[in-house]
Amino acid sequence: MSELTISRRGLLAGSALLLASTALPTIGFAQTPKKGGRLVLAADSKPRNLNPAIVASNGVFFISSKIVETLAEASFDGKDGLEPRLALSWEGAADGLSVTFKLRDGVKWHDGKPFTSADVAFSALQIWKPLQNLGRTVFKDLEAVDTPDELTAVFKFAKPTPFQLIRNALPALSSVVPKHIYENGKIEDNPANNAPVGTGPFKFAEYKAGQYYRLTRNDAYWGKDEPYLDEIVYQVLPDRTSAAAALEAEEIQLAAFSAVPLADLDRISKVPGLKVITKGYEGLTYQLVVEINHRRKELADLKVRQAIAHAIDKDFVVKTIFLGYAATATGPVPKNDPQFYTADVPTYPFDVAKANALLDEAGYKRADDGKRFALKLLPAPYFNETKQFGDYLRQALAAIGIDAEIVNNDSAAHIKAVYTDHAFDLAVGPPVFRGDPAISTTILVQSGIPDGVPFSNQGGYKNAELDALIVKASETLDTAARTELYKEFQKKIAADLPLINVAEWSFISVARDTVGNIANNPRWAVSNWADTYLAG
Amino acid sequence: MNRLRRFLRTPEAIAGALILALLAAMALAAPMLFPGDPQAIAGPALLPPFQDWRLPLGTDRLGRDVLAELFHGARTSLAVGLAAAAAALLIGAVVGTLAGFAGGLIDEVLMRITDAFQTVPSFLLALALVSIVGPSLGAVVAAIALSAWTGPARVARAEVLSIRERDYVAGARVIGMHPLEIAFREVLPNALPPELALSSVIVAAAILTEAALSFLGLGDPNRVTWGGMIAEGRTVLRTAPFLSIVPGVALVLTVLGVYLAGEGVVESTAVRRSLS
Repeated sequence: MSELTISRRGLLAGSALLLASTALPTIGFAQTPKKGGRLVLAADSKPRNLNPAIVASNGVFFISSKIVETLAEASFDGKDGLEPRLALSWEGAADGLSVTFKLRDGVKWHDGKPFTSADVAFSALQIWKPLQNLGRTVFKDLEAVDTPDELTAVFKFAKPTPFQLIRNALPALSSVVPKHIYENGKIEDNPANNAPVGTGPFKFAEYKAGQYYRLTRNDAYWGKDEPYLDEIVYQVLPDRTSAAAALEAEEIQLAAFSAVPLADLDRISKVPGLKVITKGYEGLTYQLVVEINHRRKELADLKVRQAIAHAIDKDFVVKTIFLGYAATATGPVPKNDPQFYTADVPTYPFDVAKANALLDEAGYKRADDGKRFALKLLPAPYFNETKQFGDYLRQALAAIGIDAEIVNNDSAAHIKAVYTDHAFDLAVGPPVFRGDPAISTTILVQSGIPDGVPFSNQGGYKNAELDALIVKASETLDTAARTELYKEFQKKIAADLPLINVAEWSFISVARDTVGNIANNPRWAVSNWADTYLAG
Repeated sequence: MNRLRRFLRTPEAIAGALILALLAAMALAAPMLFPGDPQAIAGPALLPPFQDWRLPLGTDRLGRDVLAELFHGARTSLAVGLAAAAAALLIGAVVGTLAGFAGGLIDEVLMRITDAFQTVPSFLLALALVSIVGPSLGAVVAAIALSAWTGPARVARAEVLSIRERDYVAGARVIGMHPLEIAFREVLPNALPPELALSSVIVAAAILTEAALSFLGLGDPNRVTWGGMIAEGRTVLRTAPFLSIVPGVALVLTVLGVYLAGEGVVESTAVRRSLS
């Protein structure tokens, strides 16, 4: 036990040092930001619903986080990795049944009406809990939000809810929308979903379908002297290869979310006036995962799953597919997570001979044509990298005598095939780690999830011990004990392999040198950009 | 022999025949020259061409041998082109012969169906079909054939309309042959030459359609196709342009070869006809 305490303290100290070091460059480069100017940047997705309170996804945040603010934002150096936005402070009760938020004074909605605790109560009870894709899980026990005064909101939970989870959920899940605009009529059909009204540094100005989104400066923003920019224009460039050309031609000043293909980064980093930035996405880690259908007799055998894990050369994946802009994974929590990650889990080094031996042991001998059995492999179509990994995995499996047939689908068909019809043996998926395993990670392995829930355990995996651990962690209030349970969770997954974590990656920004205050928080691309400026 | 000599009279035809012969040789030799899976990882990723004699055309983003992919891609392109053209010609000839020979209501109905297929842009039709059935080689062939049979059907009908008035057809009728027998044994064979002249256009279009479908990610992902190779290379167009250029050049040459050879066939048959 004492050993554990020491290692945890060591880890905390280590991560604190890391955090401190990330803050250094920003201090070193501090210069007075210039006011004014229009930032033009590349946007590749065209979300129809821009309400981040309903659709908590990065594609929506990328645009609407500048308009609609959350209670708190992620931060490199703030306490618990948070920085105040609409809330100034937050405090959880010891019994886990309530959380009290003190709200910022003098904040106005874009239409001039004052922001109050009633807006927070409305957003939480009417939108986050019943409608939001992620809030449904995190706020499932939220019963009421008391508003003793205009600047205090007290969240009441029916069952004890870990404060750590609520805290970790704030940056992505707590977008506050105005009650007076949403209280009449059906929330999903409200016109403000397409032209959002918020408290943020920028106001929604217009959207020209297929061309651009334009945001203008909110002169009544609460931040002193902020925002610095007059306008933000999202130029819709659906073709990924055109972003690099547009940057070089100075048509755009910024391409976030890896709009410039990884293969072009080496060349573009040498172009004078452009910089490649790998920071600012620490809070948005995507995981490259092999999803497994445990209904297949062969795949229900742990030895076969171990063989597949041994057959994948993770270093090759990171080096060749991600060109080094990724890290190898050991389990369901990414290495860059400061709170939960543990390296103390079973690992599966690249070893084709061992993989072959495991398959022989499991009783799947090679037939005369050298093949053991055939599988259907469905790579998710969302990223080039997931598709390329699908091609790689097919070759890696061929080396151990498994004949994988790739089935390509578009996004909608892929989601239906994997998460509703279960018409797959292996799938390649990119789930997102959102700062706390309870937000969108435990759902990947938990049993009893109804068919059709995307990005959840639809592989028919059932492990009573793991299920019990997940439930226990969701009820454990003590932060240290809860963290310990999630370390146990990582060990169990790495040992039993309900899915195989291959790599973790994030995004890259490319910007002109003139764009200042880039990547100064772990969710920079989806934060409010109040302090972003254009020099010269 | 005579016909072959006549075919080889023009330089275009010789060039076309040479290209096609080379292509056929590539397709046939692929399993011998590059045994095993052409998609296997053979070396470091993104190796430029002419750097390593074992990988003369370099490697793609995963380190697969571009030359091996090119050879195996020729198989897919030719197989799809020939199979789709054969299927389209078959459907077209049957429909056209029936319509032309039967006349009346059957002609009306079959030709209106042909019109309906012709009003839909053929690539759109193929695209829709493949996205419904799912990308596989068979689906691609069927989709291309279904969007390409209307041309041969119209040509066959026009030919049949003139042939059916000839004396030998009347003679066959008099001796009591079944109308279907007359249509397919007496009329159709004589309506074939212009069909065959059309075949080169269809093969070329089929190869291009297959490449376009693969480029859009609707080809069979478990096979190497030139269109798929171009699509793969497109993401690294600025850094490794050869990945798109190599299969692109192969595609251009193939289509050019098919066209030129087709021209040669048309010329030689035209000479024969004018002589007779």
